[in-house]
Amino acid sequence: MNKKDITWAVLRIEGTNSEEESARCMRDVGVNAEIVHLKQLTGDDVIQSERRKLSDYDGLWIAGGFSAGDYIRAGAILAARMKSKLTPELKEFIKAGKPMLGICNGFQIMVELGVLPSMERKTPMTELPTAVLNLNDSGHYECRPSLLRHVNRGNCKFTGRIRGGEVRTVISSHAEGKFLMASEADYKRLADQDQIVFTYTDPDGSAAPKYPWSPNGAPHAIAGVCNPEGTVMGMMPHPERVFWRHGHPDWTRTGLDAGLGWDVGDGRAIFDSIVDYQTKKL
Amino acid sequence: MHSASVRRNKGDKLTKKANQQRKVAVAKVAAKGPARTVPLAGKRPARKPFKQSIIKKVKAAAPAKAGKTASKPAGKATAGAPTWERHVKKQDVGFPLRTFDLDAMSDDELVACSKAMGIRLSLAEMHSARGYFQSKGRDPTDVEMEALGQAWSEHCCYKSSKPILKKYVYGIAEEQLICREDAGVLPFDGDWYYSPKLESHNHPSAIEPYGGAATGIGGVIRDVVCMGAQPVALLDPLFFGPLDTPLDKLPPGVKHPRFLLSGVIEGIRDYGNRVGIPTVAGGITFHPGYTGNCLVNVGCVGILHKDALTHSKAGGVGDVFVYLGNPTGRDGIHGVAFASEELSEASEEASRSAVQVGDAILKEPLIHVTLELIADKLVTGCKDFGGGGLSCVAGELAYDAGFGCEIQLDAVPLKVPTMAPWEIWVSESQERMMVTAKPAQVERILQIAKKWDVPAAVVGKVIKEKVNRVRYKGTKVLEFDLSFSTGGPVYDRPMKAPTINRQDWLTFEQPKDLSQTLLWMLAHPNVMSKEWVIRQYDHEVRANTVLKPLQGVIGSEGPGDAAVLKPVPTSKKGLALSSDVNPNYCLRDPFWGAASAVDETVRNLAAVGARLSSILDNLNFGNPEKPERMWELSESARGLGTMARALNIPFASGNISLYNQGPTGPIPPTPTVMGCGILSNFEHATTMDLKKAGDKLYLVGHTYRDLGGSLYLESMKKSKGERVPQTDPEILAVSADLVVTAIEKGLVRAAHDCSEGGIAVALAEMAFAGKLGAKADLAPLGAFGDERNLQPGPMRSDHKLFSESNSRWIVEVPAAKEQAFLALFDKPVVKGLCYPLGEVVREPTVTIVDGSKPLIQVGVEACRAAWRDAMPKLMGVSA
Repeated sequence: MNKKDITWAVLRIEGTNSEEESARCMRDVGVNAEIVHLKQLTGDDVIQSERRKLSDYDGLWIAGGFSAGDYIRAGAILAARMKSKLTPELKEFIKAGKPMLGICNGFQIMVELGVLPSMERKTPMTELPTAVLNLNDSGHYECRPSLLRHVNRGNCKFTGRIRGGEVRTVISSHAEGKFLMASEADYKRLADQDQIVFTYTDPDGSAAPKYPWSPNGAPHAIAGVCNPEGTVMGMMPHPERVFWRHGHPDWTRTGLDAGLGWDVGDGRAIFDSIVDYQTKKL
Repeated sequence: MHSASVRRNKGDKLTKKANQQRKVAVAKVAAKGPARTVPLAGKRPARKPFKQSIIKKVKAAAPAKAGKTASKPAGKATAGAPTWERHVKKQDVGFPLRTFDLDAMSDDELVACSKAMGIRLSLAEMHSARGYFQSKGRDPTDVEMEALGQAWSEHCCYKSSKPILKKYVYGIAEEQLICREDAGVLPFDGDWYYSPKLESHNHPSAIEPYGGAATGIGGVIRDVVCMGAQPVALLDPLFFGPLDTPLDKLPPGVKHPRFLLSGVIEGIRDYGNRVGIPTVAGGITFHPGYTGNCLVNVGCVGILHKDALTHSKAGGVGDVFVYLGNPTGRDGIHGVAFASEELSEASEEASRSAVQVGDAILKEPLIHVTLELIADKLVTGCKDFGGGGLSCVAGELAYDAGFGCEIQLDAVPLKVPTMAPWEIWVSESQERMMVTAKPAQVERILQIAKKWDVPAAVVGKVIKEKVNRVRYKGTKVLEFDLSFSTGGPVYDRPMKAPTINRQDWLTFEQPKDLSQTLLWMLAHPNVMSKEWVIRQYDHEVRANTVLKPLQGVIGSEGPGDAAVLKPVPTSKKGLALSSDVNPNYCLRDPFWGAASAVDETVRNLAAVGARLSSILDNLNFGNPEKPERMWELSESARGLGTMARALNIPFASGNISLYNQGPTGPIPPTPTVMGCGILSNFEHATTMDLKKAGDKLYLVGHTYRDLGGSLYLESMKKSKGERVPQTDPEILAVSADLVVTAIEKGLVRAAHDCSEGGIAVALAEMAFAGKLGAKADLAPLGAFGDERNLQPGPMRSDHKLFSESNSRWIVEVPAAKEQAFLALFDKPVVKGLCYPLGEVVREPTVTIVDGSKPLIQVGVEACRAAWRDAMPKLMGVSA
């Protein structure tokens, strides 16, 4: 596929709040992006010209925010709305190998939907959630830079341009980000199937960083995971906020060229990588 | 899943209901004339025409005296049965509606009536109202009385402050403004404008901190949105009593500062984060004077393309009013009247219902709907429902365009169907927006609202006649000449300077261990790290925050001077924001205190590389009926105006909050200043953390013996005496310009302004934020000490160290660029303004000497620990 033929949908409802910068990232790596309200996909309350189909798109990004206020549990409401009206289309979308990305609230929604971690191959969506993003250990919202280590061994399609073991700075901004699974065996299987993408670390490189380097206290410091095929990824920190170097909290110390190119931030590689995948494989 | 469908159904139902109401409304508005004419009360022959009286030179005691005679004798004489009620008639119209025979009421009864209704009109104002209805030959309805109470409240009509604003603040550099309506609009870059607004939500926050703070943000965001701007940043200057106030020292009815602070922070966090606008700046100031009446000021800045600029006035006759957003409820009734009186023990019980209930997840789509309507050119005017609700918004939209309006109250979407017409008319329920539009656009407007599940309804139309006419179920319930209700009284209130002990020169010994004094200052509540708060706010959403509130080495950050945004993707310009005021100066000298607030704003913006473009003022003061408070207000306004005029900078917008006094007395005068600065290129943005060992340190600006209201005197337990810092706007302007020029030329690696705690605190903060040490020698300073102080001889070392003189920065200059930097100062006015201070060193220690005398030697980690740990300790949480 050519870059110019690729179009991403950035999904939003009321309370989604990172859709603009998310769409801007995709456009800046050379593909098209359209911000789409859920109702445009389900056909409720919109005029014909606003109507869209999920299959019109080549990638789906569920952007960050507080969808529907997250009043009962982060991501639960939007996930329920998607599940009730879009399940067949979503399954088709993922089965076709089309990439799906969830950042922050998007990750929470994907876990609620059962599309992550979804550990059986060729099962795009589990009936029930198999993990949960629980309240941070601090008990409240945390907006701070995190150091993320790339721990994926090559499965994830979103990190092709990031070396194994590399540490990057990404912004955490969430209240419910502690990735929990039912048993230690689940974590082991997740690791064995190369579904862990990013873990939190600290300036000393610890695998078990303490607060605030782990902003939420997640076991095994898990910050982001993917499905067994590596085409669906969710992560709590926001790479779109460090797409540009000037989004980094310490760019006035490092300069705008910190080795990746002029004003290129640590987050950009994720978007370049998935577009690599789309242009080569799809 | 369950909850989701409940919510959606609720939304659908509301929209359906709104649509039904809309049909009714359209039909009624379209029909010529009302279904029933409105003999509200027995018609009386019209008397002489009414003329709005401007009340001048009110005697100080008059209102208070009237109040006293009214409440006491009236109450006693009738043994609790208010006699004014004899003159109120219930109308037989099938819904609650009363008329008031004001003619028949005695003065005592008028005052008792005003008080019992909660509209808080003074006797003179009740007389004004009586005169108007006499001229119309009829009795007012409760809707009309309530509407007047709202329109003539201090909060809505600025009756006490207008003369002062006119004298000192209006008319400065206004040619630089694009417009100033609900929010200001100024040029940013090319076709892009920025739109800032600063407001207060003080009284609601003192009663219900969570809801009060949240709805404060909601209100200021709507002001910016209704100009057609996308909000891009929030900032929140907050003021509380000391966090360690003993519980038993609190008067009854006063909530503990820790409770208030927690509630306010949570309110800002939960609302601001949800609505998706980054909270990038602000501050928290503590002073015992805020214990009984905390202050919550909230600022917002939006960005708009010039084509999106929308005015807060209707387009023309025949336009319809479309109501968007939250259904109207009983929350927020009498909010503005509540904001226009002192807080007391009874406020909790009496005024709880004046606090509105916010809903961020209705606000967020309401922003989208409003901006989509504006982008699609579907509306002619737009105004948010602020204090005063429907009563104010409809009238002002029409009046400001030179027209009148007709409103159908029964078309308004309601939370409670049994609300009386007056409640609908004056409710200040949140998350509502009013637009005017050509009738042909209504269908599309309602469609867009429905897509976002935002209730919407047509509620009236613009008419040629300059009257405000309101009908409910076919009955006319209100009719005002717009010039009458929007005119409002104006008071030229008396003022008197309070006695302030300004015994000029205190004598005290220099403490032995100045390092300890520095550590004490770093842990002082007004200096300590607010990281525990800042990190609970999303300051990164929208991915435009170029300089964050905390700056430096990740994990060891220090306090930034200003935040910088890059709000327009296609523009390299940066927008810098800061807010400042030091109540300790204002308390001692409101003129220089206000001037210092402007000075600090200028230097905070310059420190990050920005030139001041506009300022906003939020004047928080006590009861204007007290001459001392009035004097404080006047002096502060004079201070702000003097600085703005000298700097040739316009006030983009402003807000006044009076009656800020509770059981612990009046607040210190608090003229909060918010500054908006522009960076020619965001890439120049400079942070305050030291960056490289070997770099040179310079101090820009003269140091005087400016100790009045300083942290140093506080550390000496001296609460009185000494003059507060003064400022010379000419020197400020030139030196700020030079600091920015040096930054733009790449000659500066770090810059930080000197404020509380002077050079010592500023240098320590720069050091720990950069995880580097600093060596400084103060010997070159103080030569100019005599000029303002009238005190002979060289300055004492401790005074140089901790003086809080204005217009000063510490800058880090790479050794190789030292000559180029110094050359900038080789011209008149600024010659000799730049002092060599020392250099950045690798060893993590701050060392300050004065010639051969050692003053301070303290580890950088110890400084940061003192600064970082103070707030969690006071709040009883882990860091």
